[in-house]
Amino acid sequence: MKVVTGVVGNDIHVVANRLIDISLQSRGYEVFNLGVNTYLEEFIDAVIETDAKVLLISSLNGEAEGWCRDLMILKDKYNLKDVVFVIGGNLSVGEGDESLIVPKFKEYGFDLVFHQIDLMEGLNILDNHMQGYLI
Amino acid sequence: MSLLQRDREIIVANQYVDNFDFAEVEEFIKNANKELFISHKFKTHKDKTLVQPRGGFPTFDKMYSLYEQFAPVVDILPMTIDSHTRLNDYGSAAKMLRLSEETETDLLNGYPLINHGYRTTRKMVTHFNTPVSLRHGTPDARLLVEMAIASGVFEIEGGPITYILPYSKNFPQDKAFLYWKHVERVCAQYSTLNEPINRESFGPLTATLVPPCITIVIQICEMLLSLEEGVKSFSVSFAQTGSLNQDLVTSKVLRKAANKYAEKIGVTDATINLVYHQWMGAFPRDKFKSDSLIDIGAMIAGMVKADKIITKTRAEAFGIPTKEDNAQAVSNVQYTLNALRGIPTFVDEEEEENLSREVDEIFEAIFNDSADTLWRKVFNSIKNGIIDVPFSPHIINNNELITVRDKNSNIRIYKKGKLPLSDKSFKYEQSKIDLGENPNSVVNQIIHDIGVML
Repeated sequence: MKVVTGVVGNDIHVVANRLIDISLQSRGYEVFNLGVNTYLEEFIDAVIETDAKVLLISSLNGEAEGWCRDLMILKDKYNLKDVVFVIGGNLSVGEGDESLIVPKFKEYGFDLVFHQIDLMEGLNILDNHMQGYLI
Repeated sequence: MSLLQRDREIIVANQYVDNFDFAEVEEFIKNANKELFISHKFKTHKDKTLVQPRGGFPTFDKMYSLYEQFAPVVDILPMTIDSHTRLNDYGSAAKMLRLSEETETDLLNGYPLINHGYRTTRKMVTHFNTPVSLRHGTPDARLLVEMAIASGVFEIEGGPITYILPYSKNFPQDKAFLYWKHVERVCAQYSTLNEPINRESFGPLTATLVPPCITIVIQICEMLLSLEEGVKSFSVSFAQTGSLNQDLVTSKVLRKAANKYAEKIGVTDATINLVYHQWMGAFPRDKFKSDSLIDIGAMIAGMVKADKIITKTRAEAFGIPTKEDNAQAVSNVQYTLNALRGIPTFVDEEEEENLSREVDEIFEAIFNDSADTLWRKVFNSIKNGIIDVPFSPHIINNNELITVRDKNSNIRIYKKGKLPLSDKSFKYEQSKIDLGENPNSVVNQIIHDIGVML
């Protein structure tokens, strides 16, 4: 199954990005890693180009919200309702309250939202979520 | 007028540069005090590991007081440049410098050398009469290096690989080679006037599980590209790996291979120095543990007989250190180095043999590339993964090489990607790794290994 991943915005947390790449590969996904410093439009371009089933955006420096507000518009524009949208990392500046953050990002159009959750735990949830999909 | 000189005149004709006078700069270098040249200090302090901290502040006054604090304890002064200047954005640097001066807060993470200019900066450098080392991270350092040398800063760190692969996502790697070729030529030309300008490569790279064979190959590539242009004094460097034995082995193989490959391209009259960086990875938040980690680094620098050590401070986990923290760290490292005089060397022949072979195997592939110049051979080798830096953010990096630590904390190659290692070399690496069966264990191991000093 094809996954597009990368770090959104002016964020250079390359270590986490590489760990996600390696973990997804070891779980059998075909990974298209756009790396650090990636804009939302570039993610959408890559999803269309690769025909990926999953878009997994990560953000470590807390600036994700500013970048992801337009997701709904782009989803509609390119008819991407069959793609599973995932975001994870530190989704706010500072500690942040998970019970407020998760619904907010779901409203922006994400199917799965992981705020300060262990990488393996998050990927297990993704695996379960994807079991219903035909590869 | 030579093509090089014409390029230089265009480069200094910049709105942020106030009347760059090449003839005056040449006179200054010809008559400069030898104490300002680190290449001279290396010659006159052969048995000592010179100690250099890190540091740079936006305003002249704060930089001056940093040097005042450092002067009694350090051997080499640092001049760390701010990040706007590193990206050639002198306009933003000028604005932030003005704001820093007005508000007395530091709004830049280093010294904006272009904005201060060489006439002002030279006054400070010559006042302290101690070698200054330029630390930056600039892909296109052509103007910065003119300014630095004109200021009396006679050591230039960096290079076309080590300032790109760890720092940038998409600065064109081929452009970086050409910009640095220009820098090497400027350094070489000035080196004929007095003592040589010293060039130093940045060995830590991403400071995240970089295997010694990659560090050594990249160090030597940058050294060769520099010597090719006529530089006569060059420092190769590497950072504390987290394994004492691997540090000892790396230092030996790096020194030997550097001399061997310099000879291979026909250079026998250059001085090659070894620089050791104290731990560049994540630091413990416990200051006592930090002190211990720094002591170990100083001890290893003594054991590998490094020509220079670049220090860290106990405040590393908490942000930019104060000048007092920094001076204290240097003073402690000087103390440790002095106490360890005459420390014996250790030999691990098996490890040395394997690492030397890996380095030779990678170089064989680089030299066998069909391109006609060395920089193109190296460029192609980065493109096709013969050189692969773990955790580089750059789009050109191959990202197939995966490394983990073995039970003795040595960094080992788990997946070699396109590294041209022989079966013998790769099997040796594999024989040291023990991860068990869990498919998540590689990632867990990597996470553990990155935080090994926490």
